[in-house]
Amino acid sequence: MRQSAADDYAQFAVARAGHLYRSACLLTAGDTHLAEDLVQETLGRVYVRWGRVSRAENPAGYAQTVLTRTFLAHQRRRSSTERATDVVPDRVAEGGDVSLRLTLLQALARLPAKDRAVVVLRYWEDRSVEETAAALNASSAAVRTRCTRALGRLRGLLGEDLGEYAAH
Amino acid sequence: MPVEHDEDHFEGRLGHALHDAGDRFDTDRTALAAAGQQRGRRLRLRRRATVLGGAAGIVLVGVGGALLVPWGGTPAPRTSPSSVAGQPSGTPSPSGTPVTGRQLIETLEGLLPEGKVSEQRARGAENPLLPPYVHVVHDDGEGPGAVGVSLDRVEPGSDRARAAVDCPDQALVPHDSCVSTRLPDGSLLKLFQGYEYPDRRVDTKMWSADLVTPTGQHVSASEWNAAAEKDAPVSRSEPPLTTAQLKELVTARAWRGYVDSLPEDPGKPTPTATPSTPEEPTVEAVLATLVPLLPKDAEVVEKGGDYTYVVVDDGKGRSLVQINVQHGMGDIAGELFGPDSETLEDGTRVTERKSGGDKGVAGAAMWTVDTLRPDGFRILVSAFNSGTQHDAPTRGTPALTMRQLREIALSPQWDQYR
Repeated sequence: MRQSAADDYAQFAVARAGHLYRSACLLTAGDTHLAEDLVQETLGRVYVRWGRVSRAENPAGYAQTVLTRTFLAHQRRRSSTERATDVVPDRVAEGGDVSLRLTLLQALARLPAKDRAVVVLRYWEDRSVEETAAALNASSAAVRTRCTRALGRLRGLLGEDLGEYAAH
Repeated sequence: MPVEHDEDHFEGRLGHALHDAGDRFDTDRTALAAAGQQRGRRLRLRRRATVLGGAAGIVLVGVGGALLVPWGGTPAPRTSPSSVAGQPSGTPSPSGTPVTGRQLIETLEGLLPEGKVSEQRARGAENPLLPPYVHVVHDDGEGPGAVGVSLDRVEPGSDRARAAVDCPDQALVPHDSCVSTRLPDGSLLKLFQGYEYPDRRVDTKMWSADLVTPTGQHVSASEWNAAAEKDAPVSRSEPPLTTAQLKELVTARAWRGYVDSLPEDPGKPTPTATPSTPEEPTVEAVLATLVPLLPKDAEVVEKGGDYTYVVVDDGKGRSLVQINVQHGMGDIAGELFGPDSETLEDGTRVTERKSGGDKGVAGAAMWTVDTLRPDGFRILVSAFNSGTQHDAPTRGTPALTMRQLREIALSPQWDQYR
C-alpha cells in the first residue's frame, strides 16, 4: 500500500472503529469480546481491499456491510446445535436505564442472527429495506418478512419496556 | 402503560432504544483500528496467491538467489529447474527443500492444456510466513484467462480446513455451481463456479477448485475469464479450464509434495499426530444434505437458521424434523444405545424411540432414530406431530415414518462430515 493510501486507510479506520464497534455490540447482543473481534476482522478485510473501497461512493457503508457479513459468517460457523439465545450480554455500560438496555440486548439475543442483522441495519443504521437487502444479499421481500417477524418478537419481548421512549 | 401496537411508534421507540444502547458501548478506537490494520496485513499475506498479482513485493520469475536456505538447515544449491522441466507433472520437492517459484511455474505450465502462457509470477516457500503461489495468463486461442495455484497447510478437521472446502451460502456468495465431495483417498474437494464480484457489477467469472488432503495439504486453483482477476476486461465467455481440468490440476500429486516442503511456521504449534475431532458442519450444510433425503411428498415449508431443523408439510399438517450431526460421541454409546438397539454389519449402532417429546405438550409425538458409527459419529433425527416442539399437535403422527427416519439417519451422504 502506498504511503498516502496507508494514511487514508489509517484515518478511515480510526474514524469508523467506534461506530463499527457499537454496531457489532448490537449485532452480538452485547458480546463485547466478539464485537471487537468482528471489527478487527472487518477493518482487516477493508485494509486488504482498500484500493477499491477508498474509491467507492460510501466506504463507511461498505465497511458496515462487511461487518454484517462477517458476523453472519461467524454465526454460521457455530455449532449446529448452539442457539443464538445462548448469547448473554457480558458488559453493559453504566448510566441511563441499565435494566432497559439489558432487556433490549437480551431480546436481541433471542432473535435469529439474520433477523438481528436486519433489525440493526434498519433501525440502528437507518438503512432502507432495499439497502438492507443489498447488504445481506437477500431480496427485499425476504428482508421485509424477517423485519416483520423480528418486530413482532421484539414487541412481544419489550412492548411495555419500550413505552418510555414514546416520550423521547 | 398499555402496550403500543402501532407499528410506526414501536419502530421509532426501537430505534431510540437501539441508539441509547449502542451509543453506550465504547472502546479504545485507536487500538481497535490498529489491531484491524494489523489483521489486514496478515490477511494480505495469506490472501490467495492470485490476488497478490500486481502488488508490490512479488518475487519475479528468474529473479532470485542462487541459494536457498532450508528451514533450520544449511544453505543448499537451488534445485535445478531442468529437474522439473523434464517431468511436466512435477517432482515433489524433497521435504526440507522448500519449493521455488521457478518450480511452481514449471509445474503449472506442465499441467495446463495446450496454449500460450505469459505473465508468469510466483513465490516459492522460502518464507514461512508467506504462502507460495503461482500465477500465469493462459491463452488457448479463445482469449487470455488468468490461472493461479496457491498452496498452504491447514490443520486437518479445523475450521480453516472446513471453510476451504465448504460451499458458500448462495444467499451470501451467489454462484452458478458448487460441489464439495470426498475423494477415494479421503481428500475433500470443492469445485466452485462463481463470480469475482459477488454483486456481479462486472461479470468476471471466477472458477476454483480447493483440495484438502487428510494430512492437511491445501491446494487451491482459481481461474478467470479475464487476464487478471480484477480490473481487466472479460476476454472470453468462460475461464480457460473446464471443471474437470481444474480438478485434474488441483489434484496433481506434485503440489502435495510442495506443501510438504513448506517450512513450519515457527510461531505455530505443529499439527498434532492424533486426529482432532472435526468441526461440526454448519446449519446450512446439514440442511442442504437433509432436504434431498426427505420423502418426495414432504414439502419443506420452513428451514432453521440457527439450528438444524426443517418443518415439512405433506398436505396433512406441519411436522418438525430435527437433526443433529455430532462427532466424538463414542464414549457415551452405552447411555445412548441400550440392549434393544441393533448393530449393523459395519458396526453402526441404531436405536428407535417413540416418545411424547420433552416439552410436556399433551398429545405430542416425537419419533427418533439415533445412529452411532464406530468412530463416534452420530446422526440423530427426530420428527414431531407439530410444526414446533412446544405447540399443540397439528396431526396424529409425524410426517415421516420410522423407516424414513432410519433411511435418512443411515444415508451415506452424512459421511462427508465424518
